[in-house]
Amino acid sequence: MAKCETANTSVDLTKVKPYGDTMNDGQMEMTFTLPVPYGDEADEAARQLVKKMGCEEPSVVYSHDMGGGYTFFVVYGKCQHTIDYSTIHVAKVESEVMERDECGKFIEENIGRDVIIIGATTGFDAHTVGIDAIINMKGFHGHFGLERFKNVISINMGSQVPNEELIAKAKELHADAILVSQTVTQKDIHIQNLTEMVELMEAEGLRDKMLLLCGGPRISHELAQELGYDAGFGSDTYAEHVCSYIITEMVKRGRI
Amino acid sequence: MGLLYDLSSKYKTLSIVGMAKNAGKTTALNYLIEEAEDESIKLGITSTGRDGECTDLVTGTDKPRVYLYEDTIVTVPTQLYELAEAGLEILQKSKYRTSIGELMLCRVADSGYVQIAGPVAVADTKRMCDEMFKLGCELIMIDGAIDRKSIASPETSDAIILSTGAVISRTMKKVVEETAHIVHLYSLPELEEGKIRKGIENNCECDKIIIVNKEGKVKILDLLTGLGASRFIDEAIDDTADSVFIPGALTNSVISDIHPKKIKNVRFVLKDPTKIFINNRDYKHLLKKGFRLQVLKNIEVAAVTVNPFAPSGYSFEHEALRDAMQEAIPNIPVIDVRI
Repeated sequence: MAKCETANTSVDLTKVKPYGDTMNDGQMEMTFTLPVPYGDEADEAARQLVKKMGCEEPSVVYSHDMGGGYTFFVVYGKCQHTIDYSTIHVAKVESEVMERDECGKFIEENIGRDVIIIGATTGFDAHTVGIDAIINMKGFHGHFGLERFKNVISINMGSQVPNEELIAKAKELHADAILVSQTVTQKDIHIQNLTEMVELMEAEGLRDKMLLLCGGPRISHELAQELGYDAGFGSDTYAEHVCSYIITEMVKRGRI
Repeated sequence: MGLLYDLSSKYKTLSIVGMAKNAGKTTALNYLIEEAEDESIKLGITSTGRDGECTDLVTGTDKPRVYLYEDTIVTVPTQLYELAEAGLEILQKSKYRTSIGELMLCRVADSGYVQIAGPVAVADTKRMCDEMFKLGCELIMIDGAIDRKSIASPETSDAIILSTGAVISRTMKKVVEETAHIVHLYSLPELEEGKIRKGIENNCECDKIIIVNKEGKVKILDLLTGLGASRFIDEAIDDTADSVFIPGALTNSVISDIHPKKIKNVRFVLKDPTKIFINNRDYKHLLKKGFRLQVLKNIEVAAVTVNPFAPSGYSFEHEALRDAMQEAIPNIPVIDVRI
């Protein structure tokens, strides 16, 4: 019998598989909605779909009528694919992360004036959750926002702010950094919106004068580079990450 | 004798600007790299975004990789350095940082695939190019990102190559129309020499909106930006005004509140066509109202490349697209990069 390479009980980082109950069982949970009426046929459709996705032994453990001919499913299946973890390279922010009070001290010692940061959720996006988590005093998940940072003046312009308005305000206040938050990413609307922002900044001659940062659940540093932003902050980043980046970068670029 | 031979004798920096994402910028770049190798031109390559990765970050579709030949000078950030399959010799570290590491100027010592990234701000790209010339590049190509058109600015590059393709629309007519619109904008009439141009150029440095009257007398508006300030611009335009110079972006909010009569009577002057942020449809509406637009310097479109394939699966006939495009822009060479 051929040696079974993947059904191994120890972790092989060149062939990583999902873990459910035992090592390398490949067990996954998937949740999705299909535009079909609730019933046995719907369950079968979900099962077949998961099978097609390359999961063995698909089983629909839960389905719920969403109304209007839609059904929601929770399906388990055993993933048959593996990933070579050892060859993965991901771009990360290089700057060191300082705590809130360290940020305040760093500004006092190295910049010697207040740092002005202005942020908004731009375009048609109405989600303030991202920008609020970074700027508002309360912060998010036990991490206080920029409003609570010493020597930082932060302005939260809210949501659905046109790019032009954000730029006009930043120019008026002589901002050091602009934060752009994008939560909605359907049909890649955020890409369009974020590039328009960069292009307007270039046209207004501000791009090399202010730091331009973007943030949101689907945003990464690699995407930021592609779009022409200085940095991009995804999920699990807080005000101190953003602030540390801005102030260290300001010092490195000599914008004191 | 290829296209590049003609171009390299005329221009020193060429930007590759895309009409949209996946319009074929990198394919065009590869085409030109091949030609440069045949003509043994010493190339410098940089990018405003990132190039040469296997799959697209946004759409997840396959992307062409970039193969560089020996002696090419290229900008690579520290984090992509390890991913290069070519042998790279680090010539110097630059002071520019990107979100994926500090930028380094490298010489390709051993031909191979390279992932490229460059400065994100256009002003930095310009400075980077100067350094690359010092290292002996004869021709620098700047690859654009997504549909960012700011690198087309005449301050950065001598000429551009405009990449367009099926990705813009499923109807070929729309692809041709949109592209022709951009080419048309880039070749807007330049403001003629005279007292009005002089008046603007003498005060250009202050980065403010300038209104010039028929005698060449200037009035500098005390506004930080034109964005959202159309009301104030409207107030400042009087009967003697001849031209309005806008140093920054021209968007709908810059002109929306200007009285239609005043729109008709003055002409608007921009630094260059990359400052225009008005779409094809609105622009045509404005033209009907008598809107006139001129620039201090326009953009030289050296060639237009067409890509008849869209990543979402549909395609046009090679010849049909190229011929339709050529007909719409008769003075500029159109090249199909996929033949």
